[in-house]
Amino acid sequence: MTRLLPLLPAVLILIAQGQTMDLTKPPQTADLPVYKLPPVFETTLPNGLTVLLVEDNRFPLVTARLGFHAGSKYDPKDLAGLSESTGALLTEGTTKRTSRQIAEEAASIGASLNGDSSPDSLVLAGNVLAENLPKFLNLLSDVARNANFPEDEVALRKQNRKQELEAQRSDASFLADEKFTEVLFDPHPYARQDPTPESIDRLTRGALVDFRDRYLAPNNAVLVLLGAIPPRKQTLEMIEAEFGSWQKKALPAPPAAEFPEPKPSIVLVDRPGSVQADLRVGRLGVTRSEPDYFPLLVGNTILGGGTSSRIFMNIREKKGFAYDARSMAQPLKDSGTFAVITQVRNEVLTPALNAIFDEMKQISTQPVSADELETAKNYLSGVFVIRLETQDGLASQLAATKLMGLPLDYLEKYTTRVRAVTADQIRVVAAKYILPEKASMVIVGDASKISKQLEAFGKVTVEAAK
Amino acid sequence: MKPIVFCLLAVCVGALISEAAWLNIPIEKYTLKNGMRLILSKDNSVPVVSVYIIYGVGARAEEKGRTGFAHLFEHMMFQGSKNAPKGTHFKLVESNGGSLNGSTHPDYTDYFEVLPSNKLALGLWLEADRMRALAINQANLDNQKEAVKQERRLSFDNQPYATAIVDRWPELAFSNWQNSHSLIGSFEDLNAATVEDVARFFKTHYAPNNAVMVISGDFDTAAAKKLVDQYFGDIPAQPQPKPPDLKEPPRTAPKFEVYRDSLARVPAVVIGYPGPARRSADYNALVMLDLVLTGGDSSRFQQNLVKGKKSVIQYEGNLGWPFASATDYKDPGLYAMYFLYNPAFSGKQIVEQVEQEIAKVIHDGVDAAELERARTFLRSTRIRQLQSSHARAALLGRYELLDGKPELINTELNDFLSVTADQIRAAAKKYCDPDKRTVLDIVPAPGKQEEKP
Repeated sequence: MTRLLPLLPAVLILIAQGQTMDLTKPPQTADLPVYKLPPVFETTLPNGLTVLLVEDNRFPLVTARLGFHAGSKYDPKDLAGLSESTGALLTEGTTKRTSRQIAEEAASIGASLNGDSSPDSLVLAGNVLAENLPKFLNLLSDVARNANFPEDEVALRKQNRKQELEAQRSDASFLADEKFTEVLFDPHPYARQDPTPESIDRLTRGALVDFRDRYLAPNNAVLVLLGAIPPRKQTLEMIEAEFGSWQKKALPAPPAAEFPEPKPSIVLVDRPGSVQADLRVGRLGVTRSEPDYFPLLVGNTILGGGTSSRIFMNIREKKGFAYDARSMAQPLKDSGTFAVITQVRNEVLTPALNAIFDEMKQISTQPVSADELETAKNYLSGVFVIRLETQDGLASQLAATKLMGLPLDYLEKYTTRVRAVTADQIRVVAAKYILPEKASMVIVGDASKISKQLEAFGKVTVEAAK
Repeated sequence: MKPIVFCLLAVCVGALISEAAWLNIPIEKYTLKNGMRLILSKDNSVPVVSVYIIYGVGARAEEKGRTGFAHLFEHMMFQGSKNAPKGTHFKLVESNGGSLNGSTHPDYTDYFEVLPSNKLALGLWLEADRMRALAINQANLDNQKEAVKQERRLSFDNQPYATAIVDRWPELAFSNWQNSHSLIGSFEDLNAATVEDVARFFKTHYAPNNAVMVISGDFDTAAAKKLVDQYFGDIPAQPQPKPPDLKEPPRTAPKFEVYRDSLARVPAVVIGYPGPARRSADYNALVMLDLVLTGGDSSRFQQNLVKGKKSVIQYEGNLGWPFASATDYKDPGLYAMYFLYNPAFSGKQIVEQVEQEIAKVIHDGVDAAELERARTFLRSTRIRQLQSSHARAALLGRYELLDGKPELINTELNDFLSVTADQIRAAAKKYCDPDKRTVLDIVPAPGKQEEKP
C-alpha cells in the first residue's frame, strides 16, 4: 500500500526544471507535502483492550506495541524503579516459559521483544517477521499475562541494575537530568523517574507481582499492530485468541495531577574533575492537550530546537561556548517541562549563562520574526513526516497518542495546528513558561572551579554528586 | 506498489541460501564525467527523500601532527560555501522541513539530508555548492576548533570510558600510526591546523571523483538525474589521492593494559583480535560468529555470562568496534568486544570467561538450531534496518565506496546465511587467537587527578 498520499504532481517538478538554472541561488521548490495518516482501524475488545491496526506491506515485518498506563509515576515512593524493573523482567520468565525459552523463541521467529517504562507508561515493544505473527502474539500475550518474576532473575536484575545505575551516575548529563526532574516536580512522583541504590535494595518479587496485578490489565492497555498483517478479520481473531480471555480488573486511581509552583533556585551538583559545567535551566511546561502546547512547541523550536535555532547559533556557532546547546519542551501526560540544555567549559560559564538568559528574555518579550516562524513550522511539519517513515516510528506515535489520552486524529491534525501558531501566541506562552525569572537551574560540575561564578546569579545550594 | 522486500512464506533452511531475490532494493548506478559516482534507489511509498554523500577520506588518512583533522574538516563543511553563506545550510534544510548531519569515520566521512520529497533539489544544490566552493577562512576555522574542543570535552574528557576507548584503545591495539592515532585528536594538533591545511585537504579529498552520492526514497528518476548533472556535472575532478598505507605488522604476543579512569565507577574491559580481510569468506564467518556470541538475548554471552556466570552486565561486539561495524569494517581492523562487568570479578577473569565461550565454539561447534536462530535474527534485523530511506542510502553509499558493489545490500545476506557451522568454528580458531589478543581493562580510579588542563 501507499502509506502516504503522493503529493507532488509531476507538473510542479517540470515547472521548476523549466526555469533557467541559476546556481548562485537556492532552488525554488514546491510547498511541503500534506501529511495523510494511513488508515488506522480502532476497536475495543469486550475486556477493554484497545486495539489499533495499520496495514503496511512494504516490508515482511510486523511491529507491535502493548502499552499500559503503568509508568514510573505509579511507583510507590520508596520503590522508585518498580515500573522499570517490572517491564524489564516481563521477558525473564512466565508460568509457561523460562527466560531462556523466551529468548530462544524470539530469536527463532525473528522477533525482538522488550519491556520498557517511561514516566507515564510501561510498553512492551517488538517486531517480528510477518510469517511468524501468530507465534509472536502468543509470546507477547504470555509475557504480558503470565510473567512470574523468578527469584533468581529478580536477584540478578537487582545486582546488575545497581551497577548500571552507578555507570549512569558517572555521566554528568544523567546527574543533571535526575536532579532537574527532582527540583521541578517534587513532591509529585514525576520527580522520581530513576531508581536509587536503596530502592533497588528494597525491590522484592512480591512488589513486582503486586505491580503486575494492579496495572497489567486489558482495560488499562492499548495494543498496536502495524505492518504486513493478515486481513482484518483474521488479525482480530488472532488477537482475540491470545488476549480475549484476559480478565478486566478494577484499576486504582492514578496519582493526582497536582504540581508545585515554580521555585527559582540554583542547585550545583559537585562533580570534582568535571572539565565542563552541564546545565539545565527551566521550569514546568504543558501537556499535549493544553492550548499552550503548540505555541510552546513552535516557540521552543525557534529558541533552541534545531541547528538554526537562536541558542545553537549564538552559544555554539557564534560564541563557541559549547558543542551541544538546545532547548526542549517535553510533554508528559499530566504536565511537562521546558529546559535549556548545554554543557560549557568552566571558564565561560558566566557569559554563557548571560547569553542564555538574554535569549530566554528576548523570546518572552519580543515577537519572533515571520521568517523564523515559517522556518520553525516547516521544520516541525517536515521532520514529523520523516519520523513516521518506519514502522517503529509510526507505531510509537500511535501508542503514545492513545496512552497520552489524545484523540486519534491528533497525528492527522498535528501539522495544521503547528501552522496555526502566531508570533503573538509564542510571546504570550514564552512569558508563561520560558521567562528566566521563575526558572530553576541545575548545574553539574566541579564546585571548586565554578561556584564563585554561579553565586553572582543568586543563592547556590551545593550538593555532592550521588 | 511493489514491495521492496519479498516475503518468503515458506522458509526452510536450505531454500534460503539460493534465494538471491529475497531482498530487492532497487539500484541504478552511473558515473558523471568528473568521476562522481551516483546511486539512485527509488521507493515512492513515503514522501521522503534522502541525499547521502560519502567521501573516501577518514581519520586513518590524517598526517602526523594533525590528529583529529578529518573531523575538524567535517565541521568546516557546515560553515558555509560560496552561494550558501554561514548558517544557510542548517537554515535552508530546517526551513524546508528536513534534517541533516555529518560524521567522520576511520575510512570515510559522510553527510546527509533527509527531506520532504519535493525538496530534493535543495539538498542537491547545498551539497554541490560546498563541493564546488567551500568557504574556508580563519574565522570559521577558529570557531570550529573551539566547537570541536567542546565536543571533545563533552563526549570524551568529561565521560567515563570514552577517553580510554577513543585515545588509548587504538594505540594499544595497532602499531601503524595511521591506525593507532586518536580520531578525535589532541588539542595541540587541533590548535596547529591552518587555513592552508583545510584548503589542501578540501582540494585533495573533497573532489567529485572521491565521492559517491546516493539518492534514496521518493523522487522522479529523470528529474533527479537532470538536477545532478546541472549541479555537479562541471565540478572539476582532481588527481585521485593516494590511499594511506595502513599495513600492520603481524601480531605475535598478547597485550594487556590497565587504564585507570577517574570518571568510571564500574569496571569495563575491551578485548580485540586482528580481523580478516573485508568480504573474505572469513569475514562472513566472523559476522556469524559474532551473532552466535552477541546477537540478541539468546546469544552465548547473554545466556552464559550475563545469566550463567552473572559476571557481565552489558556487552557489545563487532568487527571494527568501536568506530565501525561489520557493514563498514575495513582491514586492517579488529574483531573487538566491550564488557561492562560485575566488580566482584577481575578484568582477567572476564577475558578468561570470554575465551572459554569462544573455545566452546571451537571445540563443540554451533548446533543447527542455534545457527538457524542466528540466521533468522540476522534476517529480521536487516529488514528492520532497511525501513528508512536514509539507512538504505547509507548502506548503498558505503558498499559502493568500500566494495564497489552497492548490490551487496541485496546479496550479502546470502553470503552470511550460507556460512556453515564448520566455517564459524574454523574462523573462531583462526582469529580469536589468545596470542594475538589485545586487552584494555578500564578500572575505576576515584580521585585520580585530571591530567588535562
